[in-house]
Amino acid sequence: MSYAPHITGWGVASALGVGRERLRSALLQGETGIAPVRRFETSPFKAHVGAMVAGYELDDRDPTALCHEFGSLALRDALEHARLDLGCLRSRRAALTLGATLFGDESTESVARDLAKKFSIDGPAITVCTACTSSTQAIGFGADLIREGLADLVLAGGIDVLTPKLFAGFDALGVLSERPCTPFGLQMGTTLGEGAGFLVIERGGLRDAVTYAVLRGYGLSGDAFHETSPDPRGRGVAAAIQGALDDAGASKAEIGYFNAHGTGTMANDTAEWCAVQSVFGSELGGALPISSSKGHLGHAQSAAGVLEMIATLECMGEGLAPTTAGFQGPRPGGPPRPVGTKKPRPLAYDLALSSNSAFGGNNCALVFGSAEPTSEDEERRPVFLSAAAALSNSVSSVEELALIYESESAPTDGELEIDLSSELPRVDLRGIDRASELLTAVTSRALGDAGVRLRGTVRERTGLIAGLLRGSTDSLERFHGSVDRRGLGAPDTTAFAQVLPSAAQGACAKALNIRGPQSTITIGEGSGLMAAVLSARMLARRRDSDQIVAAAVDVRADDVEGGALFDAACALVLCTTPTAVEVAGVGLAGPDQLDEAIAQAQSSWGSNERPELVIEPPKPFAGLPATSSCFALAHALGSLRRGSARTALVASKGTTASLAIILVSTEVNHDN
Amino acid sequence: MSLEAEYRSVRHGAALSRMDHVGLLRLVGEDSIEAVDAVCSGDLWVRDGRMLQTLILDEQGQPIADVYVCPDDDACFLMVEGMTTEDFSARLGRHANPELEIELEDLRHEHELLSLHGPYAWEVLSKWLTPDVIGLPYLSFYRFDRGICFRAGKTGEYGYDLVIRSEDATDARRELLELVNSFGGSEVSLETLDLCALENGFFSVRHGSIEGLTPLELQLQWRISTRKRFPGIEAIEERRARGIRRRLTHFVAREGLNAGDALHGPDARVGEVMTAVFSPGVGGLIGTALLDISVAHPGIDQFFAPNRDSATRIQTVSSPLLVNRSLFVDPHRHTYSTREDATYPPLWQGSLP
Amino acid sequence: MTTDLSDYVASRVAILDRVRQILRDTMKLKIEPEAIDPDAPLFGTGLGMDSVDAVELVVQLDAVFGLELANSPLASTKIRTVNTIVDAIMEVRGES
Repeated sequence: MSYAPHITGWGVASALGVGRERLRSALLQGETGIAPVRRFETSPFKAHVGAMVAGYELDDRDPTALCHEFGSLALRDALEHARLDLGCLRSRRAALTLGATLFGDESTESVARDLAKKFSIDGPAITVCTACTSSTQAIGFGADLIREGLADLVLAGGIDVLTPKLFAGFDALGVLSERPCTPFGLQMGTTLGEGAGFLVIERGGLRDAVTYAVLRGYGLSGDAFHETSPDPRGRGVAAAIQGALDDAGASKAEIGYFNAHGTGTMANDTAEWCAVQSVFGSELGGALPISSSKGHLGHAQSAAGVLEMIATLECMGEGLAPTTAGFQGPRPGGPPRPVGTKKPRPLAYDLALSSNSAFGGNNCALVFGSAEPTSEDEERRPVFLSAAAALSNSVSSVEELALIYESESAPTDGELEIDLSSELPRVDLRGIDRASELLTAVTSRALGDAGVRLRGTVRERTGLIAGLLRGSTDSLERFHGSVDRRGLGAPDTTAFAQVLPSAAQGACAKALNIRGPQSTITIGEGSGLMAAVLSARMLARRRDSDQIVAAAVDVRADDVEGGALFDAACALVLCTTPTAVEVAGVGLAGPDQLDEAIAQAQSSWGSNERPELVIEPPKPFAGLPATSSCFALAHALGSLRRGSARTALVASKGTTASLAIILVSTEVNHDN
Repeated sequence: MSLEAEYRSVRHGAALSRMDHVGLLRLVGEDSIEAVDAVCSGDLWVRDGRMLQTLILDEQGQPIADVYVCPDDDACFLMVEGMTTEDFSARLGRHANPELEIELEDLRHEHELLSLHGPYAWEVLSKWLTPDVIGLPYLSFYRFDRGICFRAGKTGEYGYDLVIRSEDATDARRELLELVNSFGGSEVSLETLDLCALENGFFSVRHGSIEGLTPLELQLQWRISTRKRFPGIEAIEERRARGIRRRLTHFVAREGLNAGDALHGPDARVGEVMTAVFSPGVGGLIGTALLDISVAHPGIDQFFAPNRDSATRIQTVSSPLLVNRSLFVDPHRHTYSTREDATYPPLWQGSLP
Repeated sequence: MTTDLSDYVASRVAILDRVRQILRDTMKLKIEPEAIDPDAPLFGTGLGMDSVDAVELVVQLDAVFGLELANSPLASTKIRTVNTIVDAIMEVRGES
């Protein structure tokens, strides 16, 4: 039996066709799925082409409905490929990791929640909402669930739907190509796409399945540079690629093919080529076969990473390197010889690299292939909690949080005021939105409290995982309001750059210079604690960071269902340097399996002792879906530090997962 | 080389110049940016790999140095005009927290600074270095095998400052000059660069006297912080409290004006000429005048210098004065060799009084 | 001051103030309008706005002043400083 993440199937709904067979034949023929957009009127825009899911070019149903349809099609296709019966998932400790980014009123986790229900996935469903890196990260996190023994089978992928508003935002930013995009080619600009793709990732040896490839490793990083533009030197991309190589235990010489993000924009393609040269060197990098699948599929946003990995897997299995559809000649400043043949060209390789980058500076790279890792027994490092910061109405510190727990007093009404510019005098905070401001405040305070100075290499070795449900209310209102008032031809671009749920994490990373592994995830209610669980597991196994800030943000959105009732944020610093409190046990299970999550935490602690304290999210803060569970963890840390107890359990039943963390004081009690 | 020919190189082709007047420093240490912050007047909102313009002020709030701050991980490059490296070092010693661990390197000992300017400067550089350089955004820098390339410039055209190791500098200069010549350009003097800076409204420590003036009058408020304390802030605050009374305003004129000339309006004195030089692009004089704030606006042709011929009227104008060719030259679409295929708007679209 | 000069300055100042207000409020420059110098560069250096801000600024200026800069190849020559914007507005209004 093997804890290596085995890829045993995949499925798609893409511009090249619904179903993997159609995708493969179109890829092998070098076809493109890019065509004039017919689903909506493109007259307000400069660009008029897109890559819609085949057969759905005229389907103008509500985007949420299309999201479900694409997701269901791809999931069914993937299960069929893996020879798994529909409905068999209930008995298989299955989990879902989904890349999806909505920027309407719906909570981001709703798609995963509904798909999990439909496909009887009882385990945890984690949604990654980092725009163009969503599904790439979802694959990495999905593989981690297998590695950590938290699930036996994971459906990992992403879904996105091309809506008029999304088109409007990109069009106004001026990054869309008028003709179909040709990454690394002479045509500048990208073409938007959509679709869904899922991988079936399993623990090897549990059943008689064909392993097509192994997900060897992934790497994450943040540019800490700009809302919409990549660091022109490609340093973030390079860090993600290096992280993936290290995680995979692979040398750069072993990589036989690179499926680049390759959007086709000047900024992206140049930065990415810089990254390749800096990681691989000019000789290896110059010889590395590179292409981008966006010439075939357009930029499918939250589904881009998984669709591009699937395109690579399809070609890899045939002994081919995917091509860059439409490519006619290299542009100055890009790779001089990307794979740009009419059809995929013969190439034998055992390991491939795929990378994506997103607004807000998120980067994620994957290393996968037929080669099994040489050693899979990885040591787990102990993880500690070193600091916490909490912020809400009537709460400006962890101590005040304790008072709320004692008195169960309701928070006061009124606006929570923060003077961030006096706390961070050397940071450009102009135009920062509410979620970014709250997240930056708590993250900065928690890191300060932990004594972490973001200088030198500490910046690359510090991570940030944010748990939240949606984009910042003020930015969403500004963007949607601008479209309502001014039409699709003139959306507010500054607001568009901030509507994504991950915008706050990107802005916080930029303000504080956090460049290590980062992501934005959600499970609806309980998202903050989910961020802490994920951070703890990443720190224990990975070697690319020394501390990760797990944070939660809620921005008042009381006019939408399940929205936060007021503003709040909470951040915890998890680290590998021993401190007074250890994260001794962690559990993650399905939304209706809280007991299972607690049992897992207890078992990973390795003690039969009952934790002295059981801390639940504070009742007066029940109206804070992301933050309240994080408050519970912060309060548990405070209680252990004050010596109120030696052990504490924090548990929370979230919307799409249940979570448990056991904290243990490491201070030796001399009285005993 | 005549000023006209040099000017043409900068405005229409490509030009090379030695930047011996610029101090080149590197502060090393995790706290380097904090140290720079203590001596400079602006908010140092600048990321690694990017550049930011700031000032150093004296106690009266008058700018004494024009500085590019370029953070580079745990170090910071500085390009300083108007102040010697020794003086800069002394300032650091005086104002920066002595506990900061920083080391100051004078790059001038082992490097030279060459710069390229012009609507096709990018093409010269892409031929000399690699085609990648055209992707380098304005106000950012990157390293190459013989030095560091900063994309900046104070002429309104594409501009690159190349810090090159001394041993490579002679070859580099010869190679670049050959390329520049093939673009119809030449090596240009500091005088030409200063003229171009003035035409585009760039501040220069060499543009005439600024005695007694602060960023408030010089339209450089964007280079002073409203959030931090810095040397010279007391004088700025005092002046701000009194209200800004005069403002530097650009003008054009036909001829016969000099720095120091009084300027009168229809019924009273309104200010004085600070600097005036002949501009080949405008075909007349361009300059700056310190005008009473109530009339310190572009678009006025009623001011004149009474000590001169009655014909010496000025026309106040907005800055930048020129519609630079570089605004229309796209490195991905155009080349010097195909420059005749496109038509460009005239550089100067105004009229002389 | 003659009437035509004071009228000109008054109308220029009114537009200048409005443009500064747009920059402060919608571009979130977080500084007082008087601290926005009329000749300060808007993009890159100067006020430090970027291409994302530029798109929004053009939309605002078109809406408030009817400049029709969106998609105009000359937009980049008209929004270089506050003063060049004021010039463009006065030209459209025939006041220059």
